Amino acid sequence: MLEVRGVSHSFGGLKAVDRAEFTVGRGEVVGLIGPNGAGKTTVFNLISGAIKVQEGTIRFKDEDITGLRPDQVCLRGLARTFQSTKLFAGMTAFENVRLALMYGNPERSFRHKEVEREVNQLMASMGLLADRNKPVRDLSLASRRRLEITRALATNAEMLLLDESMAGLTPLELTQSMQLIGRLREKGMTILMIEHVMQAIMGVCDRIIVFHFGRSIAEGTPEEIAADPTVRTVYLGE
Amino acid sequence: MLISTLLSEQKAALVVMPLGIILLAIAPALISDSAQITLITVLMYAILTLSWTMFSGPTGYVSLATAALFGVGIYVAALLRGTMPIEVIVLIGGLTGFVFALAIGILTLRLRGVYFILFTFGITALIRNVVQWWETHFGGTVGRHVLGASNEAVYLLVTILFAATLVVTFLVKHSRVGMALQAIGENQDAAAHIGIHVTRIKVLTFAASAVFVGATGAVMATRWRYIDPSIAFNPLLSFLPVVMAIFGGTSKLYGPILGTVVLVVLQDFLITEHPYLYLLLFGLTLVVIVVWLPGGLVVLAQKWFLKARIQWAKLQMQVRRVRRR
Repeated sequence: MLEVRGVSHSFGGLKAVDRAEFTVGRGEVVGLIGPNGAGKTTVFNLISGAIKVQEGTIRFKDEDITGLRPDQVCLRGLARTFQSTKLFAGMTAFENVRLALMYGNPERSFRHKEVEREVNQLMASMGLLADRNKPVRDLSLASRRRLEITRALATNAEMLLLDESMAGLTPLELTQSMQLIGRLREKGMTILMIEHVMQAIMGVCDRIIVFHFGRSIAEGTPEEIAADPTVRTVYLGE
Repeated sequence: MLISTLLSEQKAALVVMPLGIILLAIAPALISDSAQITLITVLMYAILTLSWTMFSGPTGYVSLATAALFGVGIYVAALLRGTMPIEVIVLIGGLTGFVFALAIGILTLRLRGVYFILFTFGITALIRNVVQWWETHFGGTVGRHVLGASNEAVYLLVTILFAATLVVTFLVKHSRVGMALQAIGENQDAAAHIGIHVTRIKVLTFAASAVFVGATGAVMATRWRYIDPSIAFNPLLSFLPVVMAIFGGTSKLYGPILGTVVLVVLQDFLITEHPYLYLLLFGLTLVVIVVWLPGGLVVLAQKWFLKARIQWAKLQMQVRRVRRR
């Protein structure tokens, strides 16, 4: 579904991503891990169009999306969340999702009642109905992270890029979040997630890609990655 | 709760707006000539302030290009007056404002924060200097006389433009585009990642708001009758709408209008009563107001409205008690 081929990006003299290569298949949940500064978020920014690819190509559903703007990438079915949640703080949870539903589906003409019904359904399925009319600033961190995923889903996404969506959660919230990812996988959603919480990565991912100095150094199932000596050296510090 | 508040606000606006416009239409029959002239100034600034608020209010992009767009409208009238009806000139002024704003928008709206403010201010200065250079080298003189129009005609035109600006600002604020503009103001990156074509929405809304500024410039040229680059592109025409909008409060549609009315009346009073201390007193008043009312007059109005509702509810309860006895 997603192919990243020889993608590079430098910030001045610093090569943040260096000929990165990996693929994500339809319906897969893939984890992207690596030490801080490994270039994981930069890869997300390159895929989602937030920054320009300087070298290489990115294909999504067999279409070249290299150099597209973020809104164009989103309208092709690839949505993302952010490391620090980027919600519209002056709006309610409902308004955040409604806006994504309206702009993420430009081919549809919505009626007021129809929008309300769809947003309510989506929020209910994500366990957010109780927070529906709360301003974003009044939501807990777990609800904010969940709302950001809901907003991404409202754009009719077929693939999600989740950037540390479990960081800072309590053990209970973490379990709920992992269950949520499991439910999304059952519905056929393709997910590429950056995560530092090893319990989550090992628990929900089909495959893990390890990044170091802007490129993939290992790839495999959670068990293979846990046993990989290179990964243990550069990432786990053993 | 928020949605019900919004709906009631929309309903209130649908009643108050037509009433206000009807009142403005019949005002010349009820007020003196000097009051009518003051009202023209109020309406002119209200159009500039509402237009500024249409784009800059939700997005937080502080544009200082109002004087450029207004001045362009003035020069359209100066060049075309006498060759065609004033209504057509006003339309051309509006279209010219749109085209200039489109160009300014394409050049500047990829910039953010202070860079955008400086660029719009710089572009205004650039246009002013180009016009001055052109007039000096090819016109032979810096200023131009413009065939005047009667106070009644000017009043009618600014009233129509004000009504149009008010209705369009209201429609934009409560539309899909308005929501997108608010999202851009809240977080531009997130807005782009949910499918909003950020640059297109910003540029087109900025250009649409400039139609009213350019058209008003064309009308005011026939009221002032003599113009030159320092009058047409006066930097105060860029700064005052910002001050008036912030003073009134941009969260509600009536905020910028309230801010405009109070500040124009205050300005008129200070110019008349204290001509030598006018700018000093005006500046001091603004500082005091901004420090004491950071949310603008709208916040004060909301507090009073809330107090009045509480008092009214208490009064109703007392009446009920008395009736029961």
